[in-house]
Amino acid sequence: MEKSLTTNTIVIAVIALIVGAAIGYVAHVPPEAQECPDPIIPDLLTDPATLIFGTDFSESVSLDPARAYEFWSCQITHCLYDTLVTFEQGDVTEIYPELAESWEVSDDGRIWTFYLRQGLSFPSGTPVNAEAVAFSFNRVCKLEQSASWILTQFGMTDGSTVALDDYTVQLTLDRKYTPFLFLSCLAFTTASVVDPVVVMEHEQDGDMGGSWMTDHSAGNGPYILENWDRGTEIVLRANENYWKGVPSLETILVKQLSEPADQRMMLERGDIDIAWDLPADMIDDLKGTKGIEIIEQPVFTQDYIGMNIGVEPLGDERVRDAIRWSIDYDGIVNEIMKGAAIKLQTFIPTGMLGYNPATPYYQNPEKAKELLAEAGYPGGFDIELAHAAAPQSRDIAAKIKSDLAKSGIRVTLAEMTSAMMYEKYRAQGLQLVLGGWGADYADPDGMAKPFADGTIKQLAWRNMYLDEYATNLTRAAMIEMDTAKRIEIYAELTDYILDHGCFAIMYQDVHQVALKTWVEGFYKCPLFALENFEEYYKETIYVLP
Amino acid sequence: MNFRAFVLRRLMLMLIVLFGVVTITFVISHIIPADPIGAILGPRAPDELIEKLRHEWGLDRPLHEQFINYVWNLLHGDLGKSIRTNRPIIRDLMERFPDTIELSTASMIIAVCFGIPLGIVSACRKDKIPDHVSRVFSLFGISLPVFWSGLILLMIFYYRLNWLPSPGPYSTYLRPPPVVTGFISIDSLVAGDVGLFIDHLRHMILPAFVLGFSSMASIARMTRSSMLEVLRQDYIKAARSKGLKERAVVFNHALRNAMIPTVTIIGLNYGSLLEGAVLTETIFAWPGIGSYITGAILYLDFQAVMSTTLLIAFTYSLCNLIVDILYAFLDPRIKYG
Repeated sequence: MEKSLTTNTIVIAVIALIVGAAIGYVAHVPPEAQECPDPIIPDLLTDPATLIFGTDFSESVSLDPARAYEFWSCQITHCLYDTLVTFEQGDVTEIYPELAESWEVSDDGRIWTFYLRQGLSFPSGTPVNAEAVAFSFNRVCKLEQSASWILTQFGMTDGSTVALDDYTVQLTLDRKYTPFLFLSCLAFTTASVVDPVVVMEHEQDGDMGGSWMTDHSAGNGPYILENWDRGTEIVLRANENYWKGVPSLETILVKQLSEPADQRMMLERGDIDIAWDLPADMIDDLKGTKGIEIIEQPVFTQDYIGMNIGVEPLGDERVRDAIRWSIDYDGIVNEIMKGAAIKLQTFIPTGMLGYNPATPYYQNPEKAKELLAEAGYPGGFDIELAHAAAPQSRDIAAKIKSDLAKSGIRVTLAEMTSAMMYEKYRAQGLQLVLGGWGADYADPDGMAKPFADGTIKQLAWRNMYLDEYATNLTRAAMIEMDTAKRIEIYAELTDYILDHGCFAIMYQDVHQVALKTWVEGFYKCPLFALENFEEYYKETIYVLP
Repeated sequence: MNFRAFVLRRLMLMLIVLFGVVTITFVISHIIPADPIGAILGPRAPDELIEKLRHEWGLDRPLHEQFINYVWNLLHGDLGKSIRTNRPIIRDLMERFPDTIELSTASMIIAVCFGIPLGIVSACRKDKIPDHVSRVFSLFGISLPVFWSGLILLMIFYYRLNWLPSPGPYSTYLRPPPVVTGFISIDSLVAGDVGLFIDHLRHMILPAFVLGFSSMASIARMTRSSMLEVLRQDYIKAARSKGLKERAVVFNHALRNAMIPTVTIIGLNYGSLLEGAVLTETIFAWPGIGSYITGAILYLDFQAVMSTTLLIAFTYSLCNLIVDILYAFLDPRIKYG
């Protein structure tokens, strides 16, 4: 007994010591913690020629423009290649020429002719000409990989892009489309122009260089891929012959840091310049820290509750409306998202053409109960809510369950991996689903189709929603050439889906990025993967001896 | 049975074990109700593309055909291609596994160098202060979650004190050496970059200590209990009664006999470390196979899951074989058979 008491005493003493030390450590924040500690480089606070990101890019699969579809895959691809047209400085409301100097459209809207800038070449010496553009686009259509649909949705096929002469290229679509829609897709990384000679030199088994391009670059963009070590880092070097001018940042390093606490520590110590994936509570802690700046930008992604109208009683509009009236939107945005979201209830996000600011729904359990009673469910009903196995999804799902319970709707949570959830979702096999959607391009058509058009196998279809009126409006907006009329159509469509659709849209994400104040020219684009890193630079700071 | 026959027999048994592992992993991977192509392409991918890629990857073939095809390729040294990375899996593993071997080896060196002496001191000073401290130490080592201890140590030694470097296998402004063996430590010496070698070792200190801590605890405990048992033996009493110094009694007569259970624990721990430690790898940004296989599981990359599982089973079996061989060296009474 005496011996075990001694052991127990020591255990308790050690635990008390650790807890006391931890409390003291956490409670006392020395003044120097509010400033940037000395970095590892003794004579420079930072290397002005190297920009270092800390982020999790483990989901990246390939840097081949025909395949790149994850955030960092697309962002890096955007640095390696140029496109015919582009957006500038994060403004996604206006298209600018890039490799194409000008363009024209045939009267029927199907044939687009682009006149290319002359005198440009790839690092290999191959000219950036019409043949390269035709090869690049036809290659994407032929390979039919993850990102190909960005072009093939316009009826483009292998052979529909033709070089008329060295600097004139013609694209033939299956019908007319509103110009901004088509051009915004051409600004996306899928439409990158690749070096046909280098790509085909590395062809294996008819893959058109796909395997090689997974982790090599063949573009004339501002950067060249130096190395991609999948577990550690991506290294980009400035293209010394870039036609817009050599970027001031000679090197871009993207460090693989899955753990947000690592990103924060390294940012504060100056070992990285930009922390890309910090959660809202860490962003809050960093606000006001000397030497660190927080950039917040609403982005074109949003979260929603999908309601499968093939599952009773979700087929009844009054029931779906009751669900919308049950959700505590402000609570989710303020308490769970903590500044990393803004309330949104229509499917076009703020910053995009056709944005509808209407947010008529708020938590009103009494109204929800009335609607349920009208629909024949005075005692509520049981339903299952599927959500991904991620901390934020769990919190929101639990909140939704609690909110709906107040209206008498008894929710069973079904947590599953994203892979399993999307498998069931594609098979129209879910009841309620907590999902998210992000725009691939800056045109509202990219949001309208999934949320309103049940004839294409996207979100609406997965919830068995097929409404002829909504479908017709979506298609009308897609081909409307007058911007003002297009906005009117989207106003009507967004209002219609708000009240009659199969979604309860809750919020639009706000991407919060923490960076050192010595990073200049930084901006965050609302559309993913279109930041122009070549426009950033760093202030040169030297430590006094 | 002589040594060669023993090893051959064990290798044959290992093949049977590996076949069983491959079969079970294949079955489990394919009965999960989810589509890997859909998982990798994401929610936007059109159904036609998913079907096309399923066909390209042979996932629409009958299960037995897929299995036979996989085993046939395995027998020809082809681990297949990762659906997620679109690269040969052998290439992915050759990039990741050396980092895991380095970290695991460093962890075991720390664990053995501290664990065995701690266990010896604990046994020799039974029920005294050193014994109590050692047991508390072992308790913490086994109980503390890696994600907690890792972050705390990083916060103290990197963030606050700047005594140790940031997470990652090397410093941000250094470049990795040309690949010769895949081991950064060896390749940096081959390239003559001593600075990188030292930098890499410094980056390894914290993750190796965190990983080694729990192994250290179990080694210390096992050493203590087996030493106590040995120290109770009559021949130890005889040695003491002859007037031998306690140091000679412990190290010349007791320790070797007490090592067999300890060697077993060391082997099991090492094999377990070689499976990869996803939490440690995440916290310290260490690019090992733990995070690789976790990603493969989450994205239902069946080929990568099966091949990595096969590799882990092989290394674990190999560690056990080496431990069994060592028994005969430690105790001449043990015969192969």
